[in-house]
Amino acid sequence: MIAAVRARPAFRAGLVGCGVLLIEWSRALLAQQPGLTMAALVLGGTALGVMAFGWPPERLGLGTSRFGLRILGGMALGAVLLLPAAVRPGAAPLLPAGLALAAVVVSVGEEVAFRGALYAALEDAGGAPLAIAGSTVLWTLAHALSHPLPFLGAVAAAGLLLAVWRWACKDLVGPIVGHVIADLAL
Amino acid sequence: MKRAALLALGVVMYAVAAWMVAPGFYDGFGPPQPYNFTCPPPQAGANSKPSSGHLDIKVIGGVSDANSAFTDDGQLVIGFLPGAFVVDGKSTISVDIKPLDTCPSPSGIRFVTNVYQVTAGAPLDPTKPANLTIRYSNLEPDPSIVYQASDPAGPWTALTSQPGQPYTIETRTTTFGYFATGYPSSSPPPGAVTVGGGQVLPIVVAVLIVIVVLAGLPIAVMRRRRR
Repeated sequence: MIAAVRARPAFRAGLVGCGVLLIEWSRALLAQQPGLTMAALVLGGTALGVMAFGWPPERLGLGTSRFGLRILGGMALGAVLLLPAAVRPGAAPLLPAGLALAAVVVSVGEEVAFRGALYAALEDAGGAPLAIAGSTVLWTLAHALSHPLPFLGAVAAAGLLLAVWRWACKDLVGPIVGHVIADLAL
Repeated sequence: MKRAALLALGVVMYAVAAWMVAPGFYDGFGPPQPYNFTCPPPQAGANSKPSSGHLDIKVIGGVSDANSAFTDDGQLVIGFLPGAFVVDGKSTISVDIKPLDTCPSPSGIRFVTNVYQVTAGAPLDPTKPANLTIRYSNLEPDPSIVYQASDPAGPWTALTSQPGQPYTIETRTTTFGYFATGYPSSSPPPGAVTVGGGQVLPIVVAVLIVIVVLAGLPIAVMRRRRR
């Protein structure tokens, strides 16, 4: 069964895409229930991380070569993601300390699922352009239930930036570090 | 070179898209909208005035419809069950929500939201309480109680309250009047600890840039020497 799925890259990409969408939408709906926010974030983030099961770390962009540069790149990505909010006059949201751990779990899970497993599956099915465009579209759709409509443009642009980084640097460590920093800071 | 150019294009596209909607990057953990304060705290920065709300509820066959009144900025929502009002022959019942222009600070209570006045053209049936939901800011400590008074000068009564969806608190009421959320000032503020955001954010970004530049320069020099 697993071999049959692996032999059909398009089918596998479809399965991974449906899986991440289902997890993200379920997480968003569950998080809206009083008292279930924390559980939804942790369970959802963990479930997203499971999407990487069966992929070699290198295919996910999780190699260890030039690790210091990858971390540094992640910090640069974090600065870019936060810059518009940092220079904007007015209040920036604060992350409640109780949600910090959940934010880290979700950030890592989302990157592993979208720029890791989904990107790799789409790249196998149709090359880098499909991987960048497809992971960005699904990333945006995945946030449709948790974000008001006006935010989706910024969500899409962030997804595109992280996917382009994944392609240009063949790296997932940077997007993970950048995403974690941004989620913790905002 | 082509990859670097596309990466730079991605950065520019993100910066433009994120600049068009406050706060920019936002992953759904904090409240998406800044709170509109009557009396903004110093860390609030730019602030919009809070909105009011109005609703006309139809009375059909002597029974008022189920409906919800809310302020235009969604900071207060009050929901009514069918037959929630004692209609006394009326065909419609008007409900108005107005933020108070002042910020009372009664003894022993620390308010963290605006004070809202809720009025209606008919009293509530005591057996069918209205559900009241008040959104609060992330710039203040989380409130633990919804308070009610018939006059802004007090006395203020603590209503049985419970947390709702993130950044909201809920209660039930059988009377109208003035409502606000807060906590007893004698106790430590609940849920006050936060990370990032607010005035810390520019510092976080500045530190990140400094680290990237300071660590990146030696790495770039070393790579150039190796070549």
